[in-house]
Amino acid sequence: MITLMESQAIALDSPSEATKIEVRDLDFFYGKSQALKDVSLNVPAHAVTAIIGPSGCGKSTLLRTLNRIYEIYPDQRADGEILIDGQDILDRRYPLSDLRRRVGMVFQKPTPFATSIRNNVAFALSYYERLSKAEMNDRVEGALRQAALWDEVKDKLGQSALSLSGGQQQRLCIARTLAVKPDVILLDEPTSALDPISTARIEELIHELRDQFTIVIVTHNMQQAARVSQRTAFFHLGELIEVGATAQIFTNPRVQRTQDYITGRYG
Amino acid sequence: MGLILIKRRAIDALAFLFASGATLFGLFWLFWILWTTLANGLGAINAGLFTQMTPPPGSSGGLLNAFYGSGVMILLAVLIGAPIGVAAGTYLAEHGRHSRLARVVSFLNDVLLSAPSIVIGLFVYELVVRTSGHFSGYAGALALAMILLPIVVRTSDEALRLVPDQMREAAFALGIPRWRVTAQILYKAALTAILTGVLLGVARIAGETAPLLFTALNNQFWSGSLSGPLANVPVVIFQYAMSPYDEWHALAWAGALVMTLFVLGLNLAVRLLARRTSK
Repeated sequence: MITLMESQAIALDSPSEATKIEVRDLDFFYGKSQALKDVSLNVPAHAVTAIIGPSGCGKSTLLRTLNRIYEIYPDQRADGEILIDGQDILDRRYPLSDLRRRVGMVFQKPTPFATSIRNNVAFALSYYERLSKAEMNDRVEGALRQAALWDEVKDKLGQSALSLSGGQQQRLCIARTLAVKPDVILLDEPTSALDPISTARIEELIHELRDQFTIVIVTHNMQQAARVSQRTAFFHLGELIEVGATAQIFTNPRVQRTQDYITGRYG
Repeated sequence: MGLILIKRRAIDALAFLFASGATLFGLFWLFWILWTTLANGLGAINAGLFTQMTPPPGSSGGLLNAFYGSGVMILLAVLIGAPIGVAAGTYLAEHGRHSRLARVVSFLNDVLLSAPSIVIGLFVYELVVRTSGHFSGYAGALALAMILLPIVVRTSDEALRLVPDQMREAAFALGIPRWRVTAQILYKAALTAILTGVLLGVARIAGETAPLLFTALNNQFWSGSLSGPLANVPVVIFQYAMSPYDEWHALAWAGALVMTLFVLGLNLAVRLLARRTSK
């Protein structure tokens, strides 16, 4: 069944955009309380989709279903379908390790592991691929370059990742995610713990990565959503209120609640 | 106005006096003990202490066999107790977070933590000494391991819980399986805290006398084997201090001083480790 929202969203898509992720009738529960209600949403490939909305609206929850990270906590549950390249990832039979390799995630607070800069990047890589030392060094360098961190750390790869600044740590986390060559990158308020200069660097980086990856970013900063994304979805109280091209959502929203939020009447 | 201020100042002065008095009272005994140990032990410390065996009454000697016995039993206790303790702590912190079993295990561990060490000595006596028919260093090491175990369980459980959940999520989000996340990410993050727990446990078992009385007993002669009675510092101190011989008294003081310095050193090491972590 195609919901009203979905038909709206489809209507706004340009036909050339391929859909990477298709969320269908998704409900999410924390124990007994429902955090997402019947959400259906298409995420286009090779573009940045921003998810905005007031605190507690379910935007982070949605992100956390896309790589099934919520499964660490036994009282959390998702019902519905999430198709990535046409395959339902909520299906128990979908191998978790494949999913998380294809769908990388970067969190609000930088989470470097308590080891060297090199090992932070190499850690997951060495689990997925058998690489020689030289190949490994190449891949680590490649990932750090892609995350625009190489020049700052190339002389101290053996140093503890904890010695880096917050912004550098966050770019290291992005490099770590890029190293295993994902298709999709989930960014959960990636700059909310960073200063304005580091934030600008990360946003630049998002621009550069856009062509190669499908990016979904959750942000409570509306200017950031407007700057980095091509599509924006607005959530409120666990429901998808409106989704469309970013320019349209910010200049000409169709739903009153979207307009109220964007103009700062609540949130 | 002025009166209230005077009253407050008086209460403040009184509270300060009481608090610092209590501190001084505690420190007084501590320094008295340290001073007595130093004054009596220093004179008895010489090269012979570390090269000769415990002597018969009336002749001079050292504590080599006791140091060796204590060292070997502590080492074996750590080898038995620490891995099991870390594994159990890992279960409590990582796998059993939401389970009833983990809560029960955690409670029982607290009981074991506060069990009198003599009870553990008696338990191992029944379990090992009676069934094997003789006292042994193995029995002593087992008793010490059982005292060390709950300390390591508790500290490694807490150390792992201190690792923020975001770190776990970040590692799981890379698709790494749980055992690898625990072994390569979480242990690394909690390493110094876990080590601290083990060191504190060693400091605790180093001075235990009661559980060794029933298990390793003592041995006046050199014995490299753990399968028979084994000399150890706490029991030697206990026996020699009770004896009427001056040479034995001196050795008991020397042993006490060495153990005190050892435990003091361990505590300092723990402090240094903790400081390095917080940086």
